[in-house]
Amino acid sequence: MAQTLRLTLERPLPRPAQSWTWTPRLWLAVLPVLLIFGPLLPGLYWALAPAFDAEVWQALWWDAQWPQALRATMISSVLSTVLACAIAALLATLHYPGRLWTRLQRRLPLLLSVPHAAFAVGMFFLIAPSGWMARATAQFLQWTSPPDWVTVQDPYGLSLTLALAIKESWFLLWVLAAVLGEQAVSRQMVMGRSLGYSRTQTWALILWPQLLPRLVWPVMAVFAYGLSVVDMAVILGPSTPPTLAVLIWHWLTDPDPMFQARGSAASLVLLAVLLVCAAGARGLGWLWIRRRPYPSGQRTPASNWRWFKLHSLLFATGYAVVAVLLLWSVAQGWFFPALLPDAVSLASWQQADWTPFWTTLWLALAACLLCLPAVLLWLEWGPKRLNALLYLPLIVPALPLVAGQYAVLLQTQLDGTAVALVWSHLLWVLPYMVLTLIGPYRAFDARLMTSARALGNSPWRACLSVKWPMLLRPILATLAVGFAVSVAQYLPTLFAGGGRFVTVTTEAVALSAGGNRRVLAVQALLQIALPLAAFGLAAAAGHWLGRHRTGLR
Amino acid sequence: MLTIKNLRISHAGKSGKPLFSGLSLAVDPGEVVTITGVSGSGKSTLLNWMIGDLDPSFKATGELWLNDVRCDTLPIEARHMGLLFQDDLLFPHLSVGQNMAFALPARICGAKVRRQRVEQTLSSMGLADFHDRDPATLSGGQRARVSLMRTLLAEPQALLLDEPFSKLDAVLRTQFRAFVFEQIERQGIPTLLVTHDPADVPQGGRVIDISDWQHSHV
Repeated sequence: MAQTLRLTLERPLPRPAQSWTWTPRLWLAVLPVLLIFGPLLPGLYWALAPAFDAEVWQALWWDAQWPQALRATMISSVLSTVLACAIAALLATLHYPGRLWTRLQRRLPLLLSVPHAAFAVGMFFLIAPSGWMARATAQFLQWTSPPDWVTVQDPYGLSLTLALAIKESWFLLWVLAAVLGEQAVSRQMVMGRSLGYSRTQTWALILWPQLLPRLVWPVMAVFAYGLSVVDMAVILGPSTPPTLAVLIWHWLTDPDPMFQARGSAASLVLLAVLLVCAAGARGLGWLWIRRRPYPSGQRTPASNWRWFKLHSLLFATGYAVVAVLLLWSVAQGWFFPALLPDAVSLASWQQADWTPFWTTLWLALAACLLCLPAVLLWLEWGPKRLNALLYLPLIVPALPLVAGQYAVLLQTQLDGTAVALVWSHLLWVLPYMVLTLIGPYRAFDARLMTSARALGNSPWRACLSVKWPMLLRPILATLAVGFAVSVAQYLPTLFAGGGRFVTVTTEAVALSAGGNRRVLAVQALLQIALPLAAFGLAAAAGHWLGRHRTGLR
Repeated sequence: MLTIKNLRISHAGKSGKPLFSGLSLAVDPGEVVTITGVSGSGKSTLLNWMIGDLDPSFKATGELWLNDVRCDTLPIEARHMGLLFQDDLLFPHLSVGQNMAFALPARICGAKVRRQRVEQTLSSMGLADFHDRDPATLSGGQRARVSLMRTLLAEPQALLLDEPFSKLDAVLRTQFRAFVFEQIERQGIPTLLVTHDPADVPQGGRVIDISDWQHSHV
C-alpha cells in the first residue's frame, strides 16, 4: 500500500484536459493560418486525383526516363543527407566545446543566408571542367584546355549531392549550435568528462543518444528538401534524364493531361520514398537503442583529431562560391586556364536587368509583412498543439504542395496574379517564421505579462505595449528570415506566378542553361544580396531601436 | 591533499581586471573547506578553473596540485575530481542503475558483476529496486543522492561541490547535507564546498570568504 502510494505520488500528475473555447481571439489566430493552409486540402485532391488510375502507374513504370531519374534522386537525396549529417556530427564531436566551435557558430549565419540557387551557381563555377578548381590544377599540370571530365550535371547526380551536402551541413550545424547552447547540455559534457571519459567518448555515450531524437525533424527537413529540390538540380543535376523532381515538374506543367497525371503519380512516389526512408531510419535508431550494452566503464584516452581541418574546407567553399561569383560578374574576358579575369569591367552590372530584383523585393516584403501578424497572433492565442501541423510544409516534399496550390489557383482563376504569387509563398514563409520566433516567445517571462494585466491592461494592450515591443529584436530577425525564405522560393513562383513574374531566383536558374556567365553571376549575386541586406538591416535596426535599453536582448 | 598555489583569475579583455589574486589554499584528505562570497564574487569561476572548464573570457595564472600531481594543465577527464552541482545532471537516457554503472571503474569487469555492484550501492543508500527506474521519476532528494553516489563511484581523489543543496527544500536539505558529509568522511578525500548559505558549512569546518583575496575593492 505504502509502496503504491509513493509511486503514485512520484509520478507526474496528469494535467487536466485543456478545453478550447472559441473566443474571438482564437478565431483571429486561426483564420490567417486557415487561409494559407485550408485551400490546400481540395487543392491536393484536385492535383493528386488523376494519379488514382492504374493506367497512369503503368505508364509511369514503362516511362523511359523514370528509372534513371529515380536513381539520381535517390543518390542525391540520401547521400547528401547522410553526408551533411556526417559533416555536422564530425565537426561538433571534434570541436565542441572549444574556441573553434564558438568561431564556427559565429560565421554560420553569413553562410546560411546564401540561397540555394546562388550557391549552386557558384559551385558550378567552382567545379565545372572549366571552373576555378580545374584552373588551379591546370597551373601545375600545364593544361591548356578544360579536362574532358564530367564534373557537373553527371548522370548519378554526384555534383548535386556534394553541393546539397555542403549547403545542408551548415543548416544542421546551426541547429546543433542552438541545442548545444543550452546549459543543461554543456554541463553534461563537463559531468561526463569529470567521470573520466574523453570528449569523444562523452559525445558518443552521453550527448549523441540525447541529441539524436531532437535532430530527427531537422534531418527530415533536409531529406525532404533534397528529394524535391528543383532549382539546384536544374543547375548542377543531370539533364537527360533529370532528377525525379525536375521530371515531375516538367510533367506537371505539360499541356497533355496524361503527362500531368504521370506527374501527380510520381509526386506520390516522392512522398512514399520520404515515408519509407524515415521509417527505415527510425527502425535503425530503435535497433541502436535496443542494442546499447550495459555501461562497461571503459575509459579510452583522448584521440587527438583536432588537426583535421574539415571546418576550413567547409568555410573556404562558402567564401570561394561568393568570390567566384563576384569575379565572374566583373570579368570581361576570362579564358582557361587563367585564375583571374584578363580584364575587369562593370559592364555586366550596368547592363543588368533589375526587373527581377524589384519583383523579388516587393514579393518578399509583402510575404514577410503579411505573415508577421499571423505569426504573432498564432503564437499568442493559437492552439499550441497544432504547431506541428504548421511545420508540415518543411518536412514534406514541396512538389505535391505546389501542385495542390496551383490546382486551387486554376479553379479560382487566380493563377498568374500578384495575389496568388504572394499567397503561394506564405505556405513556406509562415512555418519558418514561427520556427524562428517560437524559441524567444516561449522564453519570454510570463510574469511580465501578468504584471501588465494586473496594472489594468487588456490582453491586447498588454501584448501591444509590453510583450511585442520587448520581443523587438527576435521579431526583426523573424522578419528577415521570412524575407530570405521568400527570396529563395523557386517552384511556387513558377507555378502560381504562371510565368508572368520573374524573380532573381527564377532568373538565375533560367540563365544557368545559357552560356552567359557574367549575366548569370550578376543575378546570383543579387539573390545573395537581398537576404544578406535583410539580415543586416534587422540586426542594425534592432541595435538602434534598443540603444538606450541594455535589458532588451 | 588538494593545493592551490598563488592563483590569479582576471578578465581576458584589455582591461584585465582581476577577480581575485594571490589565492593559496591547501585542503587535507577528509577535510571540507567552504568558500563563501556574495553572488558574482567569482566563486563559480574559481570552481570552473579547478574543474578545467574555465570560460575563455577569463585568464588564469597559478597552479593546482592534487596528491603531488599538477592538475591545472591536464584536461578535465584526467584530473580525477568529482563534481556535484545544484542540478543533479543525471543522464536522462540511461536508467538510474546505468547512470551509476557509467561511473564505476572498468576494473570491475563484466555486465553481471557491475550490475550487482550498482544494486549493492543502491540498496546501501535505501534505494533498493531502483536500478531500472527512469531518473525523471525520482524525487528531488533521491536524485540528489544518486547523483552524489555516482560521482563517488568513479573514485575521485578530490570533490568539488557547487551549491549542491540550494535547490532542495529545508527538510531534504538537512538530510542530504548529513548524507554528503558522512560519505565524504568515509571516503577521506579533500573537498571544496562553494556556497552562499552559512548553514551549509559542516561543524568545525574551515570557512574562507573569497573577498579575502579581492584587494581591488574601493
